[in-house]
Amino acid sequence: MDEKEIINKVRQCVATALGRDEDEVQVDKKLQSDLEAESIDYLDITFQLEKTFGISIDKDELFPQKIFQDEELVKNGVVTEKGLRFLEEKLPFADLSGFRKDPRMTRVPELFTVGLLVNYVKMKLASS
Amino acid sequence: MRYVLIDRFLELEGGKRAKAVKCVTRGEGFLGPSDSYPPTLVLESILQIGGTVARIVATPGSRTMLGKVERATFPAFARPGDRIVVDVNVILSRPEGTMFHGVATVDGKTVAEADFMIVFLPMALTPKEGPVAREQRRLLWQSLGIPWDGQ
Repeated sequence: MDEKEIINKVRQCVATALGRDEDEVQVDKKLQSDLEAESIDYLDITFQLEKTFGISIDKDELFPQKIFQDEELVKNGVVTEKGLRFLEEKLPFADLSGFRKDPRMTRVPELFTVGLLVNYVKMKLASS
Repeated sequence: MRYVLIDRFLELEGGKRAKAVKCVTRGEGFLGPSDSYPPTLVLESILQIGGTVARIVATPGSRTMLGKVERATFPAFARPGDRIVVDVNVILSRPEGTMFHGVATVDGKTVAEADFMIVFLPMALTPKEGPVAREQRRLLWQSLGIPWDGQ
């Protein structure tokens, strides 16, 4: 499957899960702030990706929840160095360079774009 | 859930699928124009059947809740005297929840079809079930020979 096909299928998955037109779902769009994804939608997106690409996604593999609950990873609303390393380890398919400059916790959801999902699927397909 | 809108299970495989029946009577109290039975209540039956399929294999201490209805269509109405037969199948299952496809038919004609998601949540995070629904569900489970979870 080439990159264009992966992108189109991921866009379809997100559009289905969020009830959006595919035209609205571009790779640079943030799931939460641009496409108004809610917590249940992340589970739906996971289902759609599993179904569409025939991949198995472990719990917390794509949308890790631990960072929101662990005080060592976040202090005073800012992701700690340990938290950043946690994110790098958990999300090797994410580009954290911009986030590192301003690692406020409230910015974590902004990491989750349609493009991140594309990178994740590419990584999963390459390793399968 | 305030009322159980399932009259009888015909087939039930926990975590996989079910076929169940809801009979429409004139005493429903919710009939619309031309005696039409509200499609949303047919949908509720589909969801409750899916919820049962998920619930009987749920981890103890967790409870099932409707996550979302992905898509629902209602091509025709059910009316008093109709026997609605609902088939529900698991499409995908994860530790956090299950995605289902359900179809409701009357005499082979589709009256509702839906894709939906049931999620598992810790009991402390879910609203308490109403007493009527709880007793109806207890009796329904008893009729199916499912051990009562007491929850």
